Amino acid sequence: MEVRTDQNEVFSFWPIHNERLFARLESKHLHVEPSTDPLEAEMSLNLGPQHPATHGVLRCALKLDGENIKSCVIDIGYLHRGIEKLAENKTYQEFMPYTDRMDYLAPYSNNVAFCLAVEKLAGIEVPLRAQYIRTLMSELSRISSHLLWMGTMVMDSGALSVFLWTFKYRELLYSIFDEVAGARFTVSHSRIGGIAGDLSQRGVDMIEDFLPKFTEELDEWMPFLNRNRIWVDRNRGVGVITKEEALAIGMTGPNLRASGVKFDIRRFEPYMVYDRLDFDIPTREEGDSFARYLVRQDEMKESVRIVRQCLDTLATLQGPIRVDNAKHAYPSKNEVYYSMEGMIHDFVMTDTGVCPPKGAEVYHATEAPKGELGFFLISDGTGSPWRMHINSPSFTNLQALENMLEGCMIADTVIIIGSLDPVMGEADK
Amino acid sequence: MAHRTLDFLFSPVDPPKPSAERKNPLAKDSTFDADAVTALQDEFGERIGDVTLYANEHTVYVDRESIVDVCTFLKDRFGYVYLSDLGGIDRFTEEQRFEVLYNLIAMERGKRIRLKVRLDEEDPVVPSVYEVYPAAGWNERECWDMFGIRFDGHPDLRRMFMPEDFEHFPLRKEFPSLGIPGSLPLPSQTDDGEIVEDPYPAAHGSKPLRRTPFPE
Amino acid sequence: MSLDLKEGFLTTTLDTVVNWARSNAVWPMPMGLACCAIEMMAFAGPKADASRFGSEVFRFSPRQSDLMIVAGWVSYKMAHAIRRIWDQMPDPKWCIAMGACASTGGMHRCYGVVQGVDNFLPVDVYIPGCPPRPEAVLHALMDIQEKIRNEHTVAIDGAV
Repeated sequence: MEVRTDQNEVFSFWPIHNERLFARLESKHLHVEPSTDPLEAEMSLNLGPQHPATHGVLRCALKLDGENIKSCVIDIGYLHRGIEKLAENKTYQEFMPYTDRMDYLAPYSNNVAFCLAVEKLAGIEVPLRAQYIRTLMSELSRISSHLLWMGTMVMDSGALSVFLWTFKYRELLYSIFDEVAGARFTVSHSRIGGIAGDLSQRGVDMIEDFLPKFTEELDEWMPFLNRNRIWVDRNRGVGVITKEEALAIGMTGPNLRASGVKFDIRRFEPYMVYDRLDFDIPTREEGDSFARYLVRQDEMKESVRIVRQCLDTLATLQGPIRVDNAKHAYPSKNEVYYSMEGMIHDFVMTDTGVCPPKGAEVYHATEAPKGELGFFLISDGTGSPWRMHINSPSFTNLQALENMLEGCMIADTVIIIGSLDPVMGEADK
Repeated sequence: MAHRTLDFLFSPVDPPKPSAERKNPLAKDSTFDADAVTALQDEFGERIGDVTLYANEHTVYVDRESIVDVCTFLKDRFGYVYLSDLGGIDRFTEEQRFEVLYNLIAMERGKRIRLKVRLDEEDPVVPSVYEVYPAAGWNERECWDMFGIRFDGHPDLRRMFMPEDFEHFPLRKEFPSLGIPGSLPLPSQTDDGEIVEDPYPAAHGSKPLRRTPFPE
Repeated sequence: MSLDLKEGFLTTTLDTVVNWARSNAVWPMPMGLACCAIEMMAFAGPKADASRFGSEVFRFSPRQSDLMIVAGWVSYKMAHAIRRIWDQMPDPKWCIAMGACASTGGMHRCYGVVQGVDNFLPVDVYIPGCPPRPEAVLHALMDIQEKIRNEHTVAIDGAV
């Protein structure tokens, strides 16, 4: 490979890639006539891939006219590892821990999304108690994801204290996950056909303890932020995207709802037990950063409501937590340790796992904290998928970023990126 | 190109049983849109291929040349204003090797439909639906990056994830999952060193070089 | 040799003083890439509290930092940026490979991921775990401090 040595640089940073990236930046919006005024100087600014405010390894190439962004090209893929390829070489259950590492702010939602897709592919019915526990934990992880988003976004706009407050409550949530799933962060708790283990009494107590504390604290934070002059001024009217634009560019999740589209997969095609629960879908009309902030804030309150209802139902609802079918799910540990059949089934599940019918293909979408997270699976009759396609919300949301940044001020860049709440592990697949 | 049949290392394949036809517990009403499918067949005739149904999900196979027309028709007539997903599929060893899937949502009607286009290996080109759904922009770039399927009329068909310096299409079945050694250079291990061409031996066999030798 | 020193003095070597100062003010450059970055935030956050070790100042500018924590899997595309940032950090500098992915490639044994950052960076401490708990990162930081305290600026006994 040819190594260019310009300005004494010993290695070059993807020469062809950068050439094409900046060529695109130059050629974008060719209808803008280059000015002949010598006082108007244009500047190209490269933001990322290592930048604290880009929430990971997002890279923006910006063309500036003074402080205004004239054109913008987003470059992602700095975390690309090819999990769609990996999935083709893993059994379905083996692949499930990888979904933890996609949207690592809400691992439980991703586990559930993947398991639901496989269950749809193989036609497995999950016991009701397991569905309630999945719903409960998914909503807790939604709170955890929105908390991190709030902490980092307020930090991006210059206030550090909110970051410390939200992390205090994230630590409480981590302890709950630690108790329920056995891992504080990458939980991998969901199994195909159910979940790994039941809620312990201690886990229930911790959640019961968390809910009132968190609600109270959230109510204390909100006036502080909602009436904070700096926070409001930096967000209101920034990064506006209209309803039509948002639909056309395919935004999803809270970002879409902040533009006035009442679209939520939990209501659009209810999965798990969402059709039995009572909750609202917060929607705003403004479509700016502040609306996106308010939508997420309301979503946290709704999540608390859902968790409360799940807890109430779980108190009386008894039953199995995994489907009792050795061809569909792991047998319980009791069975594995004390019966020969159980052990054989355990081996077969680990070695081959679920084998959906040949040629079957399904798409199952869930409402992850970031938006519509869908898995498209094609089976070839074996224990691993022939093709797995991930429709990840951060990817679709980031696409809108190019349009939103153009015409904005350079100082608003970090606010807009923060308000979209992208996670690069998910966007880069 | 002659393809050899893929052989798998294990064979507990149950043939689809009649019991697999029972109602899928996770099937949704939203993915079944008989009205749109009938209207498509009336409007486009033989340019619409098979229509399949699994787990109550409609999949409509569309002729390559008319995908833009079909999308426009669905958008105008049936309110499919939102493109949720677009992706490629490699059906290695089959006659028409590549497929592109389109996942559309009609929010007002609460429906979802999947369109598919089949492509030959020699000529993997599809008309881009960017004009109808701007949301397809990045997805089509991703599809080009991963499968090498070209989208005719796309304004900016660059690679999405991999650097432009990379020459292969990773999600094609013949691409090894560990990559092709030498296709992606690593940075040098010393301040003024050369770019390392082949990372694999260093990664899995011999130990990496030290930056500075240890004092004796 | 004995010196007649008044109270308020103590004798030591220059190395000890410098190393003591350095080891208690290690400013990390958080190369937060993926999941481990979130645990790295928790490491700086209220519960684990890295400031007890003098490392609460996360410097996002490589020019001001002397410890790089590579947290997350490193793709080939990103590797060049990391190496460039490493080269911008002033000497002396140390490196922690946080988590299984940064240490060995971990579970991401796939075409896009460098199988261990030690392919292009001199790593001082590896942390196992996927992701490691903040306590493990603290342990790694203490190992780095230990390493700094045992360094010497002048060769001992005529060694080069």
